[in-house]
Amino acid sequence: MSTAYQFYISSLLIYFGVNILACWGLNLQIGVTGIINFAFVLFQAAGAYTAAVLTLGPAVSPADGGFQSYIGGANLPFPLPLLAAALVGALLSLVVGVLALRRLRADYLALVMLVVSQIAVNVVQNQNSLFNGSAGLSLVPEPLADFVHLAPLSLAYQWFYAGLTGVICLIVYFFVHQITGSPLGRVLRAIRENEQAAAACGKNVFVLRMFAFMAGGAIAAISGAMLVLFIGTWAPAAWLYPETFVLLGAVVIGGSGNNLGVMVGALLVPVAFLEAPRYLPPIPGHPELIEPLEWIITALLMLLFLWFRPEGIIPERRRLFPGRAVPARDPREPA
Amino acid sequence: MIADSSLGGTPLLQVTDLRRSFGGVHAVDGASFVVRQGSITGLIGPNGAGKSTAIGMIAGAIVPTGGSIEFAGRVVTREPAYKMARRGLTRTFQLSSEFARLTVLENLLVAAPGQRGESLWGAFLGKPYWRRQERALVEQARDLMSRFAMTEKEDEYAGNLSGGQKRLVEIMRALMARPKLLLLDEPMAGVNPTLAGRIAAYLEELRDGGLTMLLVEHELAHVDRLCNPVVVMAQGKVLAEGTMAELRTQREVVDAYLVG
Repeated sequence: MSTAYQFYISSLLIYFGVNILACWGLNLQIGVTGIINFAFVLFQAAGAYTAAVLTLGPAVSPADGGFQSYIGGANLPFPLPLLAAALVGALLSLVVGVLALRRLRADYLALVMLVVSQIAVNVVQNQNSLFNGSAGLSLVPEPLADFVHLAPLSLAYQWFYAGLTGVICLIVYFFVHQITGSPLGRVLRAIRENEQAAAACGKNVFVLRMFAFMAGGAIAAISGAMLVLFIGTWAPAAWLYPETFVLLGAVVIGGSGNNLGVMVGALLVPVAFLEAPRYLPPIPGHPELIEPLEWIITALLMLLFLWFRPEGIIPERRRLFPGRAVPARDPREPA
Repeated sequence: MIADSSLGGTPLLQVTDLRRSFGGVHAVDGASFVVRQGSITGLIGPNGAGKSTAIGMIAGAIVPTGGSIEFAGRVVTREPAYKMARRGLTRTFQLSSEFARLTVLENLLVAAPGQRGESLWGAFLGKPYWRRQERALVEQARDLMSRFAMTEKEDEYAGNLSGGQKRLVEIMRALMARPKLLLLDEPMAGVNPTLAGRIAAYLEELRDGGLTMLLVEHELAHVDRLCNPVVVMAQGKVLAEGTMAELRTQREVVDAYLVG
């Protein structure tokens, strides 16, 4: 395999891992608990910025030749920036959740989330001192390069980072699997189905929804942190609100409520589907059409699934319990 | 007029001068009644009498604008629904409120109180921590399903059931919480007569087992069969209270409700 090809494959694997993480976080919120979070990318961005400014050294003033201004600059070693990112993702979710989750119905909540996402982009773009405004942050150092004695940007480092992303995926999978496979996950699904009835069963719906929102926010932040530590740069253009819809498409198409399903969705939509046009011949006379087509086709695919297979490629698993008196039917059979 | 509070049993639920306004509309306007231990107390009245609003306030889903609610010797007037459920007051809803994409068995399991695997740490510690309790709860739920002739539906998504079967799921779910008081908001509404009769028989069985219930119901034959005493509400107020036989003799009740 040529070096260039290996670079390409390892990059794809890292993107895949980052998107899996994001989809698991979003699935915990939307798929499992029914919280429509159209601001999901905001929490990913919060993690990315946190990890970036904690990994970068102190900002150098323009007078001394510096080209970017930001808060933080703590020069912390990995995995501290990653852990801090998760914490910031959870805390930001707490703040947004307190404002939005308590009283708003699902459709209003979705609108509020969209607006919050837009406000955050505007604030970051216009407050240069926070995260270097529209230009964004760059030259974020690769984590652990010295520790593993690998040259940053080398192929070996790239494979190392792919492995590191895999390890983070395993840890996060353990976390989400323990939740979704437990009685706690069952209560979250009950809340998704009927909040009022869940409250009548003695469940503190607000606290449980807040938990799912914060856990999803923390996972989103981890995915953002892993991405920025790989690409070394992060700017508002990377987290405009449509990015949430790519992840939402992955969750819907893969199988909302199923951790394995959304993993397939993460492979299909943000990775394979958005990567495929690279291999398409340019449209004669309109070479710029390819990118908008990606969005159009993603949206159409999502609509088709919502119409014809709303449960996604791998539907949410029906939970059966051992020792039943009657044989279980095939869950795919109609009732 | 509030009559005959001498019927047996100590008061489990005491509602005093309960009020709730929506804008200028007084949905419940100073209602007072008692539900005694071991009884099925009926709550009847014409549409818009305030029955469901009263049930909603008792269950903690609607915040009263005035009055007080005392349950099991404790004032619980503005407690939220989940706290009321934890105190042993569970309810069913006027409209089917099953967890549609959970199986029937899971619907029942959700309602069981004090589950070890429902906390964050319990979930993290994994199956070894909560498996034994889960098994016991599954057995308890299966006993209930067997009692309600729903064993075959164990693995069915609750959303796929018929209207009557959904009512049964709700009642079983409420019973999983081992309530002290069960509020039933029109449990026979939209249910075919055969199944409605079965539900009535189940409720009788539960009453004979000592469970206290407050039943909102429009079908007077069921109220007659099951409830003693019966509270009649009209225009947000309690109009009368007594047995159905007594109520049939009261002119204002007959005028307000018993005949068109």
